[in-house]
Amino acid sequence: MRATINQKLVETGERERLKELLRARLIECGWRDQLKAYCKEIVQQKGLEHITVDDLVSEITPRGRSLVPDEVKKELLQRIRTFLAQQSNV
Amino acid sequence: MSFNGCPHLQAYKAATGTDTFKIIYSYFVACSTADTRLKKAQICKCVSCDDVRPRLHACLSCIYFGCYDKKHIHAHSEEKKHHIAIDVSYGTVYCFICGDYVYDSELEDIAKAQCQRASLSLGLKQRFFPWQPSEEELILLRCNPKRRRVTEASHIGLRGLINLGNTCFMNCILQSLAHTPILRDYFMADKHACQKTDESQQCLVCEMARLYQEFYSGSRTPFIPYKLLHLVWTNARHLAGYEQQDAHEFLIAALDVLHRHCKEMNGVSGSNPHHCNCIIDRIFTGGLQSDVTCKRCNNVSTTIDPIWDISLDLGPGSIHSSHLLSSSTTNAAANHNSNLTQANGVRVIGDSGSSSTSQSIASTEFTHSPAPGFTNSPGNYEPTSLVECLKRFTKTEHLGNSAKIICSKCHSYQESTKQLTMKKLPIVACFHLKRFEHSTGYHKKISTFVSFPEELDMTPFMSSSRNNNNGYNMHSAPSITCDNNRYSLFAVVNHYGTIESGHYTCYIRSLKEQWYRCEDHLIKRATAGEVLNSEGYLLFYHKQVLEYE
Repeated sequence: MRATINQKLVETGERERLKELLRARLIECGWRDQLKAYCKEIVQQKGLEHITVDDLVSEITPRGRSLVPDEVKKELLQRIRTFLAQQSNV
Repeated sequence: MSFNGCPHLQAYKAATGTDTFKIIYSYFVACSTADTRLKKAQICKCVSCDDVRPRLHACLSCIYFGCYDKKHIHAHSEEKKHHIAIDVSYGTVYCFICGDYVYDSELEDIAKAQCQRASLSLGLKQRFFPWQPSEEELILLRCNPKRRRVTEASHIGLRGLINLGNTCFMNCILQSLAHTPILRDYFMADKHACQKTDESQQCLVCEMARLYQEFYSGSRTPFIPYKLLHLVWTNARHLAGYEQQDAHEFLIAALDVLHRHCKEMNGVSGSNPHHCNCIIDRIFTGGLQSDVTCKRCNNVSTTIDPIWDISLDLGPGSIHSSHLLSSSTTNAAANHNSNLTQANGVRVIGDSGSSSTSQSIASTEFTHSPAPGFTNSPGNYEPTSLVECLKRFTKTEHLGNSAKIICSKCHSYQESTKQLTMKKLPIVACFHLKRFEHSTGYHKKISTFVSFPEELDMTPFMSSSRNNNNGYNMHSAPSITCDNNRYSLFAVVNHYGTIESGHYTCYIRSLKEQWYRCEDHLIKRATAGEVLNSEGYLLFYHKQVLEYE
């Protein structure tokens, strides 16, 4: 089921549209700036030479997830629901 | 970290070139055709575990997809000695020898072009890229090493304005405009390109740009806006002289001159001659829909007029109320804008023909008022809040016996009803509370306290919320769309005194939550409570969420 939905989302380009919407919303609400500032903080703490993207990702993921506003999640969920409702054959 | 990748990526590029990267990018990272999307949907899964997980990586040396989080791609790299892979979700390149993502400007240029093609194919707007300083900007930054940090406590952008002789009406409007976030961003980003450089002394837009420079220069002495005043005088003759003037009138005149100068200085802007995209229109212009319904055949004739502000009536809504006055003034505003139509091409749309229809209606009303049979207005009802004013503004009104019009459908001379709603919301909504009453025989100021919120939702006053039977409907079904019509208060202009003489001051919001009271050259910190309890005359609201154009 999950694979089928994913396939549909990719095939129709809806996944890209959702990604773009999410990107726009996260920039609008300041999420991107907040997380960027946090990343800078971590990089400064550990030193640029001693940090990898993986370190940074594991460090910021919890905060990144918790900072996503509920409204944004709701909107995305609504969009996915609408999309699935249109796809009768899923 | 450099933008030339790592030695391993350079070696890879020297051996294989960038074609593989480009192909994988266009097929699996940013698809630009239905065909590639289909391929991506079918093929993009981990070869090792047949699963679709986030952060799938593709080997750039052979055909292999592997999960990153389950380390399948790592195992592949180890086994085959293929050290370079690409993240299919984000398009970033990973080097297994370095153990990190690497950045190569050549590959990033390819990626950027592919991404743009992909968004285009899906009809998406151009993707947002964070600001990168250009060579020129880098030089400027190096030449000006002084940096100022904006903190909660800084009063950057605040500056008093000297009163040049009863010019407080101008000062309070200048302060409000100077602290209009989106207008400030426009000017601070140096977006105004004045074509007539030799005559830029005559351009009010250029003068506004200088005002922002003065406000943000860090100077603490009050600024003397004499050039600005002179430019307004020469361009809006009715405001010239040292008499007291109405701040609202000044606002409209200033917007008009700014709008005209944007046009003149920038030549014909935009491809659509009916649609002005000057910064003033993009920020302040809303669309006011007027629906006139014939009482006989229920035919609705709709006109939409551009407006820069919403004038709201105060005082009791008695028979020859408010609504008539309000519609005449709104139409005056609309007329004002339709005049611009001829001159500047502001779009006036309407399926009842031209905007002249609505003008003739307006004049009928105006000359024949007071109209009997105005049933919808409860007698002696005085709005005490902005929302109540807006309810009254958007309520269906019966035009009555003396304001009959000829219906365009049944061609009979009939009574009708009329309702005003907002078709298009402006980015900055300016509400004008009509505290100065000029009726035949008497002039007076209405000093009623009218409460206004810090946050305002305009959804109920939109044309889309219009209920054909009873007009305004607060409890309409929750809309499925996620339209956000919420506004935040950012400036309030206050008037003290009587209709003959008085004084203007204003409150402006700076940074996030800090309010200041500006009285000519004096600026003091203020609280939100103080602002909300003041006797507002002009209320400026800024849209919270901006749509992309």
